[in-house]
Order: sequence, then structure tokens, then C-alpha cells
Amino acid sequence: MSFNVLIVDDSKSMRRVIKKIISISGFKMDRCFEAGNGKEALNVLADDWIDVIMSDINMPEMNGFKLLEELQKDDLLKNIPVVVITTESSEERMQNALNLGAKGFIKKPFLPEDLKRILHEVIGVDDDGYYGEDSGDNGDFDF
Amino acid sequence: MDTMEKIQEIMGISIFEVFEKMFYIFLEPSDVMCDDYNVEADILFDGPVSGSVRILFSLDIANAMIQNMLGLENDEITEQDTEDCLKEAVNMVCGNLFGKFDSTEVFNLSVPTFTRQPESLEVGATTHRMDFDSEDGKVGVIIALSH
Repeated sequence: MSFNVLIVDDSKSMRRVIKKIISISGFKMDRCFEAGNGKEALNVLADDWIDVIMSDINMPEMNGFKLLEELQKDDLLKNIPVVVITTESSEERMQNALNLGAKGFIKKPFLPEDLKRILHEVIGVDDDGYYGEDSGDNGDFDF
Repeated sequence: MDTMEKIQEIMGISIFEVFEKMFYIFLEPSDVMCDDYNVEADILFDGPVSGSVRILFSLDIANAMIQNMLGLENDEITEQDTEDCLKEAVNMVCGNLFGKFDSTEVFNLSVPTFTRQPESLEVGATTHRMDFDSEDGKVGVIIALSH
């Protein structure tokens, strides 16, 4: 089984880095969608099935908090696990993201292993045996 | 230790961490003040302490950062890649800085801006400058506090 991933970040560079790390992690990614803010993310979600969302918080037009609120209003979308990837430093704001339905968060800067670990935690791939039987992956990354 | 001293101390830790983890570049503090930086990314912060952070880059380190972060060759790098990557760098450094400064407080960060040919590198009573060197080029930081 493969998963569709949606990366939401106003930085094109960061979207590329996240996509690259997911690709080389052995995670079974089918399609990777990108959005520059929450509004664009909702447009993607209206058209395509997404299994996991990785979203920044500070974005123009619609930020990550508002995106989480919008997802919670929809019976189908609210079940999609969201990982917040952010430079946000405040514990209060991170707790706010969790209260709004985020399943986990990771602070920039992060190591590839951190991203892989949180992705596996929220989607449960290790437990369900979906992850990397043929990848030969040992959890380390080669660049 | 006053606020500026504390910010300077944490800035040293934060910039090392961001450059090492995201750009695979190892910075060292430098006593030599460089005056020929090529590009800069700035951000404003507002919270219990307010002010701005300017990060200045030589072109060679900017290119190394983009190559290392995005896996691009030098001739594949566009102006947009440079701007986007350096704005993300200042955003990450400041987010990391204020998380270490006081994670119980809320600091608002502005949308970063990008400038070519930085000017006004002099420091005054409420500003502090730090310079760093690496195998890939030079980085400067100018921190200004407004209150």
C-alpha cells in the first residue's frame, strides 16, 4: 500500500526538501501534492484523496491554524493525520495546533530521521507492516 | 546577563544548529568583520522583546546552502531558489533562537525579506554584529533591539 502526501508550505525550497526526504526515507509514497498555503491545500483536498498532510503554520493567505480548523469542520477531512512542520517556538502555539487536531509536530531545523520518525508515528506504518520491506532501509540516510 | 547578551549567546547556538542540520555547513565564529557580503535576508520579531535580525551571506556560501539543501548543481540555481532558501534560513534561525530564548512566550515573526548588495553594516548602541566563517564562505548577523 502506498500513501498520498500533501506538503503545505509557502517556501518552495522547504517543500522540495520535505518531498526529497520522504522519497529517500523508504516511505511508501504514491503521489506527492504541494500547496503554498491553507487555501491551496483545501483545493487539493477537494480534488484528490490525501493520506497524510505535512503543514507549516506561518503562511500567507491561510495559515496552518486556520487550515486545521477547516479540516475539523469536515467529517471526512478531519480524519486525515496532520503533521505540523514549523519554525514556531512557542509551546502555547504548538499545544494550540494539537488541540486543533494536529497529530504531531516537528520543529525546523530537523534531521531526516526526525521527519521519518514522526511520519511513521502518525500514520502507523511500522505497526501495520506497510513500510519498506524491500527498501533495505535501516533508518539511516545517505546523501 | 542583559537581553542583548543572552540573544547573542543563543544566536551563536541557533545559527550553528540550523546551518549544520539543514545546510550541512559548519560555521565558526570569526573576529574578522567582512564588508563585502552579497545578499541578505531579514526578519522582524515582536514579543516580550522586539527588533530585527539581518543575516548576510557571501555568494559562495549562499550557493553552497542551496546546493546542499536542494541537491542542485551550481548552474541549476535560479534567483528564486536563492531568495527562497535564504528567507527560509533566517526564518529557521529566528524561530530556533526564540524557542531557546523563552519557549513559554509567544514571538511573532514577520515574513522574511531578501536584499541584494546589503548596505548599512555599521552597528550602533542597540545593535550587535556577529561574523562567522566556514569552508564554504562567510555569514554575518546583525541583531537590533527596539525595546
